[in-house]
Amino acid sequence: MTSMLHILVIDDEPQIQRAMRTILAKRGYKVTTAGDGEEGLALAATGEPDIIILDLGLPDMDGVEVCARLREWTQCPIIVLSVRDGERDKVAAFEKGADDYLTKPFGIEEMLARIGVALRHSTNRQNGMPNKLIKAGTLTIDLAWHLVKRDGKEIKLTVTEYKLLAYLAANQGRVHTHQNILTQVWGQEGADHPEYLRVYMRQLRKKLEVDPENPRYITTESGIGYRFISDQ
Amino acid sequence: MILVISVVVLLLYTCKGIMKFANIKISPFIYNLCRFLLVSGLMMLVSIGFDALRDQLETTLIALLYLIPVGLVTAYWGFGPGITSALISFITFNYFFMLPHYALAAHYPEDIIIMAIYLIVVVVISQLVGRMQSSLLAANAREQEATQLYELSVALTGMHDEHAIAQILAKQAETVLQAEYVELKVAGTEPFSFHFPEDSSPTRPADLILPIQTARNFLGEILLWKATPAISAVEKRLLQTFTSQAALALERAQLTQAEAQAQVLRESDRLKSILLSSVSHELRTPLFTIKAASSSLRGADVVWDSRERVELIEAIDDEADHLNILVGNLLDMSRIESGSLKPKREWNILSEIVGSVAARMRHSMNDHTLDVNVADTLPLIPVDYVQMEQVFTNLVSNGLKYAPANTVIRICANIEGDMFHVQVSNQGTQVPPEHLERIFDKFYRASATERVTGIGLGLSICKGIIEAHGGNIWAENVSDGLAFNFTLPSTWDGIFPPQLQMDTEIE
Repeated sequence: MTSMLHILVIDDEPQIQRAMRTILAKRGYKVTTAGDGEEGLALAATGEPDIIILDLGLPDMDGVEVCARLREWTQCPIIVLSVRDGERDKVAAFEKGADDYLTKPFGIEEMLARIGVALRHSTNRQNGMPNKLIKAGTLTIDLAWHLVKRDGKEIKLTVTEYKLLAYLAANQGRVHTHQNILTQVWGQEGADHPEYLRVYMRQLRKKLEVDPENPRYITTESGIGYRFISDQ
Repeated sequence: MILVISVVVLLLYTCKGIMKFANIKISPFIYNLCRFLLVSGLMMLVSIGFDALRDQLETTLIALLYLIPVGLVTAYWGFGPGITSALISFITFNYFFMLPHYALAAHYPEDIIIMAIYLIVVVVISQLVGRMQSSLLAANAREQEATQLYELSVALTGMHDEHAIAQILAKQAETVLQAEYVELKVAGTEPFSFHFPEDSSPTRPADLILPIQTARNFLGEILLWKATPAISAVEKRLLQTFTSQAALALERAQLTQAEAQAQVLRESDRLKSILLSSVSHELRTPLFTIKAASSSLRGADVVWDSRERVELIEAIDDEADHLNILVGNLLDMSRIESGSLKPKREWNILSEIVGSVAARMRHSMNDHTLDVNVADTLPLIPVDYVQMEQVFTNLVSNGLKYAPANTVIRICANIEGDMFHVQVSNQGTQVPPEHLERIFDKFYRASATERVTGIGLGLSICKGIIEAHGGNIWAENVSDGLAFNFTLPSTWDGIFPPQLQMDTEIE
């Protein structure tokens, strides 16, 4: 074994630390745990983790702040943990550079899937080669040629619809907050108009999804934003 | 002559009016001196006038004519100036009209008698008129006092707010006494004080301090600053009457408040004990399942085959989810009750919200069908996405709990005027009409015997959310079951839903 992937868990609950250690170690990860923000920051600096799982409710400092301080020097993927109704915190964490989130309590399968996505994403980023051809089910998006196909048949999109899809697909697997998408696709003018996103998303889903009410490619992250799910 | 007097008196009143209006205050001594000089001047003027008419009038007639200015002066200014004018008229009468003219002497004994009678008549008249005048003033003052007291008690009737009562008392004290400064301190559970005028504060100690108290309680005190004219005994008595009135009102307000508080405490106590018993029961059930399953798996005495193991593990997983929902509902309820549940409104698409809930609910639905009929052509709706998801989730879950297997749960929505109207109906058992409103109460259960999980918070959370959005929610029995209806405003603070200009497709 060349090297085990290293996961740093920052959470103040001893039971959660214990469970995470057991579960993740069994899956072949090296696990370090920190009980508060300061310790977490120190361990992140010395231990060079491959991924950080960060609880937003820490005893000594705001989890969002930990996130911001980590992002000052590392691009290591961060998955934040928060309670239900913590949408505001989650959105704040995303703005400070978090990669994904999990709402407590969560299933371990879900957590492992998120870890997988985050790691893949960070490997892609390190390789420096952005993926130009994205496949998701029967859908292919060619970012180089601005071409979207379903079952081999081209789907006609408007300029805005394409910009929206291309932005989400280029960062597939990641959650994008409403604000983030609005400013990326519509510029500063879009920041105050979340309805742009709602209306265009509905149009886009009608064109892409087999069942627009039950979307498979672009999922809604309630109260936070949207996520594009690809095969990669 | 009378005209001259009337004009002078009128002028005087105008002066007085202007002075009062401009809030000029002069000392009482100067005021009296001015009045004395005026009366003297007036009488001199009258005498000079009579002197000019000396040839046409007889002396006795002139004496009678003198009674007119004296009477008028007394009527207008009261006894003091009346007597002054009487004496001046006596002297001038003697000086101008008694032989020898222009001397203070009398030649004939009749003249002396006339003079004496004149003096008596004048003094008696001015005294009578003066007394009448002062009793009229006193009656006026008493009437005013009674009116003010009446106004105060009317203003205080039905008042239950201590601040308002204190405010009224201070205001009345200020206007009635024309005080420079009033300060009011109210004791009690939440003591407070205030003063006006608000922008200044006196440097010297108060001129009058009166306690506000009833037979049982000391409730506070009122402090007054008024230098000139000093606070009279009458004013003090009036103020005392005011404060005792206000004290009664304050006491009443405090008692009402205490009673209301006690009522709230009793109610919250009752709810808390219901909550505790309900919550502990509801939490224990899934906990029991989890404990039983996990300890069974842990036990070394029995060997479970793989199918049994999977079943036990599934039970743990399901019950953990169930516990999570219970805790979430409890948190939501406490947020609704504390008023911290503020919808974060945005222009949303109703069909998207319903669609995402339906997709999620269908996963966990085995025996029911969900029929959604919400057109995506409806205008945008100004709601909190997450909260509305919760409303639909709770209403559908309610249907899943109470409607028998193989029935349909329907969601439909349309817009009527400026309100959205949404209906979530199920084919479950109907609710007795008298309970239709109560099902939105906390911890309400349609029937206690039914084996249904949950703590009866789902519907009251829906009600809290819908009302926070400015809508209404109600339940009704329909032909084949029960329907929940709710309305939501289609405008957002009077603003209509935006119409988006969509761009066109690339060719």
